[in-house]
Amino acid sequence: MKHILVIAEIFEEMIRPVTWELVAAARRIMDLENSGLIKIITLSDDPLSLADKIAEQTGVDVIGLKIPGCMGYDSDVYKQALSWLIKNMEPSHILTAHTSQGRDFAPGLAIRLKAASISGVNKIKSDHKGLIYSRSVLSNNQNMILRPVPGIPVVLTIMPGIFKFDAHENIKKGQMDIFEAPFDFGSDSSGSICHKRIIKKACENKVLKQADIIVSAGRGIGEKENLEKIFQFAKCFSFSAVGASRPLVDTGWIGYEHQVGITGAVVTPKLYIACGISGSSQHLAGMKDTQFVVSINSNPHAPIFRHSDFCIVEDAVEFIQAFLKCKADREY
Amino acid sequence: MKILICIKQLSDSKDISRFDAHALEEAILLKQEFENQGIDLAAVDVVTIGPLESSKIIKRAFGVGADRGYHIVTRDYEYISSFETASKLAVVAKKRSYDLILTGIMSQDLMAGQTGPMLAEMLGFPCVTNVVKTNLTLENHSIEVEQEMENGFRDCLSITLPAVLTIQAGINTPRYPTLSKMLTAGKKEIVTFNEAELFPGEAEPVRARETFVSMEYPEKTRSGHLLRGSLIDKAGELLSILQEKNLV
Ligand SMILES: Cc1cc2nc3c(=O)[nH]c(=O)nc-3n(C[C@H](O)[C@H](O)[C@H](O)COP(=O)(O)OP(=O)(O)OC[C@H]3O[C@@H](n4cnc5c(N)ncnc54)[C@H](O)[C@@H]3O)c2cc1C
Repeated sequence: MKHILVIAEIFEEMIRPVTWELVAAARRIMDLENSGLIKIITLSDDPLSLADKIAEQTGVDVIGLKIPGCMGYDSDVYKQALSWLIKNMEPSHILTAHTSQGRDFAPGLAIRLKAASISGVNKIKSDHKGLIYSRSVLSNNQNMILRPVPGIPVVLTIMPGIFKFDAHENIKKGQMDIFEAPFDFGSDSSGSICHKRIIKKACENKVLKQADIIVSAGRGIGEKENLEKIFQFAKCFSFSAVGASRPLVDTGWIGYEHQVGITGAVVTPKLYIACGISGSSQHLAGMKDTQFVVSINSNPHAPIFRHSDFCIVEDAVEFIQAFLKCKADREY
Repeated sequence: MKILICIKQLSDSKDISRFDAHALEEAILLKQEFENQGIDLAAVDVVTIGPLESSKIIKRAFGVGADRGYHIVTRDYEYISSFETASKLAVVAKKRSYDLILTGIMSQDLMAGQTGPMLAEMLGFPCVTNVVKTNLTLENHSIEVEQEMENGFRDCLSITLPAVLTIQAGINTPRYPTLSKMLTAGKKEIVTFNEAELFPGEAEPVRARETFVSMEYPEKTRSGHLLRGSLIDKAGELLSILQEKNLV
């Protein structure tokens, strides 16, 4: 039986929850294929406690790869250690998260393993010829379905937030194997990448995270001056805050503390109003668990409309002006 | 010091892919920094894969200061897997010994984000993806970069050259081509290759490891009720809906 391998995601010696989603995706593959043996791999200077926790939480067998001197994620270490370990296992699938780590090492690992490589997988299905994988393209407007060529393993980076891990009541703890990698990455300064430090961008986004109502602006608002309208719109609501898509932050129109999305804040307000936001997967990841979503976009085919409760096809700024007028009229 | 930037033209707008514009800008900024440090060896070359009309973005790159252009000519804007793209780029990348190769973090249309890290692997170079800041040191022939991670974290690292970096938006503001540079751009040569010239005498051409099956529209995750009528009708309706829900 071929192995379906899951690479656990570790950050600062903690298991990232996306690891459980990878196990769920691996189970999906096993169910569709009707065969396969899932194993989870974790890399660390001291993998025992990580492996123990993973085996306990998932009930899946875990391989802890002990790499002396591996004090956190490093692409060279991951590619070298994983290709060394995996080469002898003849896996059918290797699953990593579509996160900054997974996106960093997965394509290179695929090359080393002479494997197929599909990134950002958001759906796994099968047809008469086998498994096929969906990934988002064209700013989330469409999904492209791909089929890996047969006979070689496939490396997949799995979109976070898609596959749900349901923990059974009484999981029988998985087995653990601890291997020591036959190379030392320790203080060796000959490595091509040298990690200096990890910094956290100072960010006070409590206001955004605690707001009941968020009015968010995207590139569709056209110009910086129109942000004022967004702030006015937000003032219509109590406990409200202004959010923004990343491009507005990147161009310096508004501060990072307003950014919603995978590299910004993840918010769950009662109401989210998206003004001129296309609905990229990276933005959706930050607001998809909102109770109630309203979108204003001039393009009737904007992807955000598929993830909205109410859709308004209008120029965002004109609509806001009309809304403010309506509100003033009713109050009068 | 030689820098190569891999750029892609979008099939619909015919523009350069957004992240590649940032990669190109970063290369121009690095070149200027070299010049400021009194090193004028910097060459900034660009390479693209696409049909003949993709040369438009090479000319645009000349217009912002690129020195040489390589164009791997395809018949159409057909779907090319990241593996094939990287394999082709690797051939060009080996032609001059580049110290630094930049790509966008992903292409704007296919959004795979694999070309850069695959190319690095094929060349045996280290790679840092998701770069939001570069800082030239020249110490030990390396470059300092910041790699963006989730939740506002950044990994500050130094990477030995030659290396591949994939560039994230927000690192800089791409400049517009200048008229004077665009005028001289016409005189700059674009070296073109076709498939046969890229892989001469190869029995086994590079083959995709994934094949295209179909395109689909993503599923709806919410009801998506469309408000109708005039602008003011819609505004009034939304106000009523929100009032009913006690949200306003
Ligand atoms: C690793 C990575 C991380 C990222 N993290 C984030 C993140 O955390 N958050 C985030 O937001 N993005 C993130 N992005 C960027 C993301 O991919 C998209 O580029 C971004 O979300 C798009 O922002 P937008 O919707 O404002 O712009 P666009 O995609 O350009 O959309 C603009 C929208 O406005 C509409 N429009 C145009 N004119 C009007 C008008 N007059 N009135 C109304 N609507 C109009 C258009 O139809 C379009 O739908 C990330 C990208 C990467 C690669």
